[in-house]
Amino acid sequence: MTNNNYKAIVIGGSAGSFSVVSKILSKLNPDFQIPIILCLHRLKYIRSGLVEGLNLKSKINVIEPLDKEKIKSNTAYLAPSNYHLFIEFDNTFSLSTEESYNHSRPSIDYTLSSAAHTFREKCVGILLTGANKDGAKGIKDIFDKKGYTIVQDPETCDIKTMPQAALRLFQPHKIMSPDEISAFLNSL
Amino acid sequence: MTYKEYLLELKKYSPYDFSEYSDNSIQRRLQKVLDEYKMTLEELRERTINDNLFVEQLVNDITVNTTDFFRDADIWLEYVETVLNKLSARQQIKIWHAGSSTGKEVYSNLILLDELGILKKTQVFATDINQQVLKEATQGTYRYSNNIKSIETYIKILEANKDNSSIKSINLEKHFNINIANDQLKVNNKYLSLPIFKKHDLVQGAIPFEEKFDIIFCRNVLIYFNTSLQTRILKIFHDHLNTSGVLILGNHEGLTGFFKTRFNRLGSFFVKSNSFHFKY
Repeated sequence: MTNNNYKAIVIGGSAGSFSVVSKILSKLNPDFQIPIILCLHRLKYIRSGLVEGLNLKSKINVIEPLDKEKIKSNTAYLAPSNYHLFIEFDNTFSLSTEESYNHSRPSIDYTLSSAAHTFREKCVGILLTGANKDGAKGIKDIFDKKGYTIVQDPETCDIKTMPQAALRLFQPHKIMSPDEISAFLNSL
Repeated sequence: MTYKEYLLELKKYSPYDFSEYSDNSIQRRLQKVLDEYKMTLEELRERTINDNLFVEQLVNDITVNTTDFFRDADIWLEYVETVLNKLSARQQIKIWHAGSSTGKEVYSNLILLDELGILKKTQVFATDINQQVLKEATQGTYRYSNNIKSIETYIKILEANKDNSSIKSINLEKHFNINIANDQLKVNNKYLSLPIFKKHDLVQGAIPFEEKFDIIFCRNVLIYFNTSLQTRILKIFHDHLNTSGVLILGNHEGLTGFFKTRFNRLGSFFVKSNSFHFKY
């Protein structure tokens, strides 16, 4: 079912997802090559120190990309606060300050759908714990474009709303706990 | 008809050229318009050719007009200390807000200039492609509920940093007329006549004034353009900055291509460099 040709791992999460993402990044092989793109809901008015927090434990470098920045391997990218994050066909990021979507900026749906569109079957989409439905449609887009999809097991979620919204839309390839997600990524 | 073909038609029949906007975003913005008006691209083309007023509305819909008072509060703190303080000895200061939208950053800037006592010697120009947002900008009237949080966030950050900042706090009543019952926040009348607002499309190049500037703000505008258009506009900015003039971009915008070598970094900002040097 999986192929060894993935161009990106795209992860969406909201309430409760910081510790899950931090755990996943802390267990990665330090030479993990596939770029990881993180779209996490975060506070609007302040630089919350999220990227610094993730870097404390991450085995690979976590950065907030600039507009038009080229996607590189062995790096995790975090959608900047108060911007939507998109992936362009030339393997660069683009940012937008347009209206909030699902009351969110960054919107997980936007990032995941854009990844689905760009990477098609060469994309792994992962949706984590969260308190709203943003991300459900986006990960389904990855599924529809034949990418590989994982939804965090609602039983292991702080707040189940987001994964449950996704599970109502489609049946992902895997439903996994955070530890299983770590192991899966390292197996790629 | 593809959206790219439509954009070429729009360029042909109107003053607007979106053909060098970045693919992902212009496609999404156009799709949003098509959904809203329940039109196909062909129908949109017909309407574009026959209805000038509709085209103005379309520009309003396609362009992103998000702006906030003191957006990215820490940037404004840095701006006062590293940029404005250095200019305070000057006889005259000229500032251009390129892509000002509804003017919230223009007025944020005026408030800071006022607090530093250098408002009188400053001339502020503000331009945008969108006539409708410029009209709102000249009125300086906004919804209280949508804007109070960003202003208060900035005040909080000022107060937390008062030991090492030139502006210790900002008095809301001094700078705004607030009417909570009407959900209205209006900038102090004395600011309204100060900025020179002009309609201008950065894509068209030639700017509508002769001035050179000490500071150019262009925050979160270039992100909507492709790299070659970005580079052309950076050249306009470079040409219209005084020696050591400062370019202020959005928090996650950088310089592309050739112009990396024509500016030096000053914290979060870019300073025009006149020496010509290559960087590899």
